[in-house]
Amino acid sequence: MRETMRKRTKIAAVLCLLAAGVMALVVPAVAAPAEKYLHVNVEDPTKGEKVSVNVTLSMAEKVLPAINNHGLHDGKVSIHNAEMNGVDVRALLDAVRSAPDNEFVTVKDNDSDVRVAKANGNIIVHVIDKKNKEQKVDVTVPLKVVDALFSTAKNDELDIAAALRALSDAGDVLLVTVQDSSQKVRVWVDSRNTQD
Amino acid sequence: MILLAKIALGIAGVGLASAGVLCSEGVVNVKVVEKQPQGLHIHVIAPAMLAPIAVHLAPQRDLAEAARQIQPYMPAIRAALDGLRDSGDVVLVEVKEPGEHVEVAKSGGSIVVDVDDADATVHVSTPIRAISSAIDQLAAASSNSL
Repeated sequence: MRETMRKRTKIAAVLCLLAAGVMALVVPAVAAPAEKYLHVNVEDPTKGEKVSVNVTLSMAEKVLPAINNHGLHDGKVSIHNAEMNGVDVRALLDAVRSAPDNEFVTVKDNDSDVRVAKANGNIIVHVIDKKNKEQKVDVTVPLKVVDALFSTAKNDELDIAAALRALSDAGDVLLVTVQDSSQKVRVWVDSRNTQD
Repeated sequence: MILLAKIALGIAGVGLASAGVLCSEGVVNVKVVEKQPQGLHIHVIAPAMLAPIAVHLAPQRDLAEAARQIQPYMPAIRAALDGLRDSGDVVLVEVKEPGEHVEVAKSGGSIVVDVDDADATVHVSTPIRAISSAIDQLAAASSNSL
């Protein structure tokens, strides 16, 4: 009887160890978030040129605070009050955040068309520069990233490092596309380490 | 006879251990092939551990000047190397032009640079640990020169 009990205890102990081993292997794989990559792609098919840059967001987060130059310090960039033209950006953001999805600004003139809208938690800006080779610029920024950008205590600073962190938590997103008659520029974030 | 075998085994062991220590930080691989006939063909594989040693042995005056120039960028370089060490394999930069291809990648703990143009193909692979050690040596040279 005692022998049987001992055997069962041993089997139970082995099973526990096995389960712990499997958990140790599986849990980090499940819990670890996928590495996010910031991709930049510039193509000029007329010249047959292509430039690709792929950087992990975690690396960008580490490097940014280490750069102190030209208004960039500790991962924050200083903006001059004059560039804000007296606009209270934080109040503006509060208003946009609480507003339903909508097109907020539409400007059409001989030089350019500009549209600013909010859709699916993103701020979307479309610009068509009619003077400059029909250049089209599309910018999509998740609101969470914009919030992080303006999360500093000072009014004249943008927290780029916080925006990168917010970008890591956001899903895959095409941030910027610029297209003119010859060049195409794309900036996006996803979990793939290639641009294919 | 057995004594000779033991001595040979000892020497081989010491050689292997030395090689192991030398290669513990990986190897620097440089390959340059010029495309013109009779062009240069160089292939050097050297223990990466030699890189910081070479920096240490470089003339102090030249080293101090290089260190002074690189000093403002040291925090960013260190942060970038830390980030690269922690990240997975990735092609960091790729430039394609007609007749020219440049690629900088992180591959298996090394930074690999490949250039292929009309004149030559160049391949340089350096372990990140060796770059970090060399950078640390440069920083030390800067602080010593003060």
